Amino acid sequence: MTVVTKIETVSARPHHTLWGDAFIRLRRNYLALAGAVFILLLALAAILAPLITPYGFADQNLDEIMESPSWKHPMGTDELGRDAFARLLYGARTSLSVGIFTQFIVIVIGLPIGAISGYAGGKTDNFIMRFVDVMYAFPDILLIILLRSVLGGSIYMLFLAIGLVAWVGVSRLVRGQVLSLKSRDFVSAARAMGGMGNYITWRHLLPNSLGPVIVSITFNIPRAIFAEAALSYIGIGVQPPTPSWGAMIRDGYNLIFAKPHLIIFPAIAIALLLLAFTFLGDGLRDALDPKLRR
Amino acid sequence: MFKFIVRRILWLVLVLFVVSLITFTLMHLVPGGPWDREKQLAPQVVDALNKRYGLDKPLYEQFGNFLWGVVQGDLGVSYSFQGRGVTEILLKGLPRTAILGILAFILAQAVGIPFGMAAALKQNSTTDYASVIFSTIFASIPGFVLGILLMILFSVALHWLPTGGWGSPLQLIMPVICLAALPAAQSARITRASTLEVMRQDYVRTARSKGLPENVVRVRHIFRNSLIPVVTVAGPELANLITGSFIIENLFSIPGVGRLFVQGVFARDYGLIMGGVLFYAFAIAILNLVVDVLYAAIDPRIRFD
Amino acid sequence: MKKRTIIFSLIAFLVTLSLILPACAQGDGATKPGKLTDPQVLRVNLAGEPNTIDPNRASWSTERTVIMQVFEGLLGFKQDLSLTPVVAREMPTTANKGISADGKTYTFKLKNNVTWSDGKKVTAKDFEYSIKRMLSPDLAAEYASFYFGIAGGEAYYTATDKSAAEKAALKDKVGVKAIDDTTLEIKLVDPLPHFLSLMALWPVYPVREDIINQFGEKWTEPPNYIGNGPYIMKTWEHSDHITLVPNEKYWGTKPFLTEITFKMITDVNAAFAAYKNNEIDIIAPPAGNEKTVMADPVLSKELVRYAELVTFAFQFNLAKPPFDNKKLRQALSTAVDRAAFVDKVRSGVGKVALSWIPPGMPGHDPNLGSEYAFNVTKAKQLLSEAGYPDGKGLPQLKFQYADTGSNPLIAQFLQGQLKANLGIDLTLEPMERKAFSAAVNAETHTWAWFGWGADYPDPQNWLPELFGTNAGNNHTNYSNKAFDDLAKKANIELNETKRLQMWADAQKMVIDDAPIVNMFYRERFVLRKPWIKGHKTTGMDGDVSGDMFLNEVYVQK
Repeated sequence: MTVVTKIETVSARPHHTLWGDAFIRLRRNYLALAGAVFILLLALAAILAPLITPYGFADQNLDEIMESPSWKHPMGTDELGRDAFARLLYGARTSLSVGIFTQFIVIVIGLPIGAISGYAGGKTDNFIMRFVDVMYAFPDILLIILLRSVLGGSIYMLFLAIGLVAWVGVSRLVRGQVLSLKSRDFVSAARAMGGMGNYITWRHLLPNSLGPVIVSITFNIPRAIFAEAALSYIGIGVQPPTPSWGAMIRDGYNLIFAKPHLIIFPAIAIALLLLAFTFLGDGLRDALDPKLRR
Repeated sequence: MFKFIVRRILWLVLVLFVVSLITFTLMHLVPGGPWDREKQLAPQVVDALNKRYGLDKPLYEQFGNFLWGVVQGDLGVSYSFQGRGVTEILLKGLPRTAILGILAFILAQAVGIPFGMAAALKQNSTTDYASVIFSTIFASIPGFVLGILLMILFSVALHWLPTGGWGSPLQLIMPVICLAALPAAQSARITRASTLEVMRQDYVRTARSKGLPENVVRVRHIFRNSLIPVVTVAGPELANLITGSFIIENLFSIPGVGRLFVQGVFARDYGLIMGGVLFYAFAIAILNLVVDVLYAAIDPRIRFD
Repeated sequence: MKKRTIIFSLIAFLVTLSLILPACAQGDGATKPGKLTDPQVLRVNLAGEPNTIDPNRASWSTERTVIMQVFEGLLGFKQDLSLTPVVAREMPTTANKGISADGKTYTFKLKNNVTWSDGKKVTAKDFEYSIKRMLSPDLAAEYASFYFGIAGGEAYYTATDKSAAEKAALKDKVGVKAIDDTTLEIKLVDPLPHFLSLMALWPVYPVREDIINQFGEKWTEPPNYIGNGPYIMKTWEHSDHITLVPNEKYWGTKPFLTEITFKMITDVNAAFAAYKNNEIDIIAPPAGNEKTVMADPVLSKELVRYAELVTFAFQFNLAKPPFDNKKLRQALSTAVDRAAFVDKVRSGVGKVALSWIPPGMPGHDPNLGSEYAFNVTKAKQLLSEAGYPDGKGLPQLKFQYADTGSNPLIAQFLQGQLKANLGIDLTLEPMERKAFSAAVNAETHTWAWFGWGADYPDPQNWLPELFGTNAGNNHTNYSNKAFDDLAKKANIELNETKRLQMWADAQKMVIDDAPIVNMFYRERFVLRKPWIKGHKTTGMDGDVSGDMFLNEVYVQK
């Protein structure tokens, strides 16, 4: 019975590209939609922060230091009497861009390298994978300290430093996927039909290996946000007074026994953002799965 | 297969060389040397220290000396832990970090894989959402925050566990949980994704239509095949865990190898940096080799060319 | 000790006046215990593995803490930081011929009942060996430059490229000689009035030649670690803990404690949690917890506060315009509301600093620097006089600091102050710690976070080294001929009253020229379990509070 329905749907289905199709199916997944909406709203709130809160992220009020949440300061104030809610909103700018921009670098570098490595195999694969081995042991802290001291404390350096080291995981994942897909029927078919190497990689192997890659990226966005927090923790974070969620968590960490709310709110914010990315990622994965086309 | 392993080990030598060279270069490019202090040392003292540690020699000679030492199995001396060799320091800390790492790895997989699998088999069910939310919560707390929260709960409030240190099994519990949290969540997510993928493959449908019992299909076809991406991610994860985490070892005062490299970097302890990075590179490359061999064992379609 | 001199300790605590707080309020030192029934164990936190516990080589406060329990020098400090003879029979003076009339020869008479932990006698030879070893070119001891005033010391230390024979010859020329078993003679290049303070520091504690020759680098591992102090080392589990037990052969009053455990917890919150879990007896809570601790019914009773000989400041680089402009520096200094920081941000822990030498030190002048007291109108006036009315025409100002501990907080406070009070934008440049030190040492900084802690309580340790033209730790590029001339004289002035007056005048010159913005004097803010008795603190404690007098601590629940 299933087989019959499936044939009917396939024949009745208007032709869409892989991505167009995915978009249509994504819209039907409410959780994914909720995730996407949350991320968009957060981005919007970050951009429109000056309209949402009367406080600036650097406005110090030394008479209102480390206050607990109240109507005036919904998330309390920090050690310099700055409004934690305002800092959270403005901090979203930093954290979202750290998460997204580093993953952009990761994809731009990691995806093609992994795909080429997996598809080409042989010497190329071996060479690339040994390079990846080098990257795994790469002393990223040294690179970050160096980039920071040479190019200044700008946040772009942080993106670059985290992204330049983080792509290896994705490229290994893609390679594993490609290796496993390479020998499958539809690839053989494409090859038998005269598809060229590049064409097969881009048109068939890459889209089909995207599922786990997208899942891994949705996980890596918060990982990058964490990386920024960790760098703050060991003393090479963003330039103050610019807030970031990582830096807020670091600052809050120092006060966890005194004023736990200073760490709880940014931690919840990161958790919600992560949840949103996870739902979106799952939705995307399902949407991109060619075998799920309806 | 044997040839493959031998070739990879030969490659490893080159990888280690390249990693050492990159690290050595970066280390000397980074501003600040081992003797830069908040309170500056007298120039005579700096000269004497440079002489003592061979830093007065040209860089290529220093690098050559390092390599020559490595060939003889000596990773040099630490500048910050005076009077102790880097090899000695690493060997002393390695078993501790490895025990923590392996325990955390086992915990992560033991929790992550069944969760992910269960979520996939019942896609869009309560189990599915519960596993997503559970893994997200654990993955969304930075290690040092999770660590201090556990410490506040188990040490400060309940007085059940010591806050850190090494020596008794009780001291392992919190660091292992912290180390396992993120990999467990990751493993659950990847397992879920790849299981969903595999469940729709033709061979699964074929197996089902052959009339194989559902359990057999699940174990023999779905489980085995859905592990490929899991293994891909788990390999580096294991390497990561065995080489340790600066933040967790720092928080729980674990005398392992995980914090040595970062400590070395911040102290500009050239000995510790070079020895540490070589050790990490070696451990990671070997573990990745193991993963590649495992690949072949799991996925019969992969052959070594 | 250097670690403490500048601010980076992840644990940041703050300041006050040990002189104002009576010693007994902190120490209970007056009441001696009756019969002690509780286990006499003290557990404290070293906050990290010591780099070395070889007295000759050590330089950090964590190292000093361990060394001071296991070794004793010729001289030592009392709780008020005045000097007292320890292994020496008496303080050398000109009256007892311990100090020659020209002030260049010191003769120490040793007690003859001082023994090593293996029973051998401590002799003047051990001191001669130790000092010469410390000055040896091959050891590269970090504190050696403090002792270059010893005749032949610098020549020997810098002979790194010489042959073994030449080194041996230079070693013989070092002016340290054991005349007999109980007499040590030291010859100096110049008369140094602060020399006796140097003889109370750990680099010149005695060490054993035979042990070091036998075990080499491993002599600092137990049981090779032979000392002459109240404790010996039982175990050293690297990066985990050190355990000390009483030295059975100790010549002096035996300590009460049967065990001291030094844990090595590096994370401040973890250390605080360990204190709350009764794993540690004395701890400094993380900065920012002051208010909560003082409000806590239990913790407030365990609180110990005392002044430290530590000053925090912001140092200008006078070679970098616009900071060559004295009026501008004065304007910036006047525009910082230090009291707001100490009282509001730090809940009153610490003390506002308007001058450089901290209270509790000879040379501190409580009235000095009052012209820099917070005053916005005056600051604006000065800014205008500097040529930048309302900040117009002022180039972008930058401030550098190491991105650890409370430094970011203090930097952002400064940024907020300049913006609010003068309308000036300050760019903050956080740097990784070593990169920051390197930048300051290379003087590429413009305006930087800066702190100093006493190595020994003498103004000589606070002025020429920092403000003398081209001095080793002068990173402000401050140069004042009058200051240099005065410092030169004060350095060798043997009359104590005159000498202190000279240093007071010298400090006044520095304060007038404002190469630094003094910020606050640090106060130690420590929690101590109620059963710890006999805890005696000083303004020069290392990482462990009360580390100079742990032999007087006991436990009584």
